[in-house]
Amino acid sequence: MLVSKKNILNIIPQRAPFVMIDKLLVANEVEGFKTSFQVQQDNVFIENNIVSEGALIENVAQTCAAGFGYVSQQKGNNEPQLGFIGAVSKLKVFGVAKSNDELITKVSVLSTFDRVSLIQGEVECDGEILLECQMKIVIT
Amino acid sequence: MTMTREEIIETTIRFLAEEFEVEKSIILPDSNLQETLDLDSLDYVDLVVVIEENLGFKPTAEDFQTVVTFNDFYTLVEAKLKEVA
Repeated sequence: MLVSKKNILNIIPQRAPFVMIDKLLVANEVEGFKTSFQVQQDNVFIENNIVSEGALIENVAQTCAAGFGYVSQQKGNNEPQLGFIGAVSKLKVFGVAKSNDELITKVSVLSTFDRVSLIQGEVECDGEILLECQMKIVIT
Repeated sequence: MTMTREEIIETTIRFLAEEFEVEKSIILPDSNLQETLDLDSLDYVDLVVVIEENLGFKPTAEDFQTVVTFNDFYTLVEAKLKEVA
């Protein structure tokens, strides 16, 4: 693990109750970024014990934020990188997450041009893919 | 990768028309690349991906500073392919 739940806010700009990742597990050029997240019962994105698809997309985006934030921190920048979702494409939803599930999210950066990165994201739970998508992330 | 300018033009028109869903016939040498392909700032990363996939090099933002028309783009491709050859 690279960044614990206790320190995760040091590398992402999101704040409670919208934080959708707990730990940064991996961040390197070969494997990309990987985070974990334990869904709590009081999560704001839960309705009827189901996590909304939008929350899983946010989970992918925050995995990007954590990865970019960690890399930036390693270069000596102490402020989290601010960014936003420019576009979501090739979205496929295969399943839903529920409270107490642990989500493992992987992101790989496919290409970067100027301040825009095209990424491929995948959210897993118990070894099954719940959602995959591509996303354009703009770092401001 | 060695390509003549004609081959560059033919290849480029094929993948640009397919990726950005435009008719090949509107991709003319003196047409404005950004307007013809209806590119916004987010679309350039898609352009970079298809260039890398089809031509084997990755252009930078600086490379596009001199590109206005498709002719400019072909000239950029020609120069980049010579660099990597």
